[in-house]
Amino acid sequence: MGFDLAKFVNNFNPEGKTGNVLLILNAAGMLFAAASNTFAAAADKNTSAEDKKFLVPSGVVTGVANIALYYKLTQKIIDRLKGITEDMLNNLTPEELTQKATQVAKAKINKAEKGLFNTGLFKKTPEMIESMKKTLLDGDVATEFAKKEFRGKLKDGASVMGAFAGAVIGCAIITPIVRDISAYFVQKGLEKRNPKFKEAPYKPYFDPAHIESRRYGQLQIPMKNYMAFTRRGMKV
Amino acid sequence: MKINSVQQQNFKGSITNKVGKFIVDHPVEVAGLAGCSVIAQKIVMSGSEAVIGPVMDIGIGKAITKITKEKDGRTNQSSKVQAIRTFAQSVGGTIVGVGVRAVCITGAVAACMKIGSKAGSKIGEVLNPVTEKLTKENDLYKYTDKMSAWGKAIGGALATLVMLVTNFIIDAPFINFINKKVSEKVLKKPTVENTQQQNDTQNAKEAK
Repeated sequence: MGFDLAKFVNNFNPEGKTGNVLLILNAAGMLFAAASNTFAAAADKNTSAEDKKFLVPSGVVTGVANIALYYKLTQKIIDRLKGITEDMLNNLTPEELTQKATQVAKAKINKAEKGLFNTGLFKKTPEMIESMKKTLLDGDVATEFAKKEFRGKLKDGASVMGAFAGAVIGCAIITPIVRDISAYFVQKGLEKRNPKFKEAPYKPYFDPAHIESRRYGQLQIPMKNYMAFTRRGMKV
Repeated sequence: MKINSVQQQNFKGSITNKVGKFIVDHPVEVAGLAGCSVIAQKIVMSGSEAVIGPVMDIGIGKAITKITKEKDGRTNQSSKVQAIRTFAQSVGGTIVGVGVRAVCITGAVAACMKIGSKAGSKIGEVLNPVTEKLTKENDLYKYTDKMSAWGKAIGGALATLVMLVTNFIIDAPFINFINKKVSEKVLKKPTVENTQQQNDTQNAKEAK
């Protein structure tokens, strides 16, 4: 059985999977950030080998926990919302489905004609708008294709809602909890091993900006005194 | 126990119904989200992070101080520093992140959509092997829609890679700048001396 490039590429087809694409890209960004922060901690010359044995694994564990929690939760929300939408669509009568599909098709055509981003590179040509009308509307009613597209886009839109909800919960709630609590334990661990880390206040994160902020009074903290991981060290 | 389980199920069912009803009652808005790129996600995510994140940081700091009965209040103090940092990173990260994403996605979508018809047909065949063979000529709308979706996904992935570099070159100094300005305003140009003073005051309070 030979390798089929076309089928392989199609696995990554983003159509109907916008929520998943958003989830994967955000998780990839978080992964890169976690990895770079942990590598930065591992490569930091100011940190002793003994401290690295503690900091680096903590960074890895915190990073994995944070990303895994975010990914699992968001995937669950996306799947649930897609399921709910499928159920609701199945409960619609054919007339209701046609009416809603027509509403969406007309809104789409209207947006293409007068939309905010309908300029420059993204300007819709008259041929394009004509093609849209022909594909989506049969007279004043949605075509079969438009109905099929409506079902797909509604589920896809619901998956985007899920991705957004997951990103908000993950970024604004899960990340601070995981980061701040683990930072506390990492800090206490460091202090136990080396009392000179008992300075007030400490910075519960590491990022390249650390070097710069050392200039300010309250933020005068040694490079060693950091938490190895946080996705905030690098914003992806 | 049984009642709880029934109540839970009713609660879940009611939430599910409300969400489902919202989706079906707002078909234009929800279906419109289908075309979203990582730019919208970044704005939603970082916008909420800028508002909720600092509150969370301070709340967690207070909770840790209370639970561990920490005497010197350092965790509480550092949570304020972290809260300012979170805000600065959300704001700075959003401005730079949205800019980088916008450039990458615009470039990728334009490349995918404006690609020559001959090359486009070839790519269309590769990208859509299972269903129909789309070209600009046989269905301009479907072809453009498909290419736009691919452009957004490719552009988003490209932006993630580009940001590995811009994070250090642009984000870090920019976030530092915001952090410095906000710290000066909120912490009133903190120095080692007044930090010590704050801690002494806190310790004295706790000793009482």
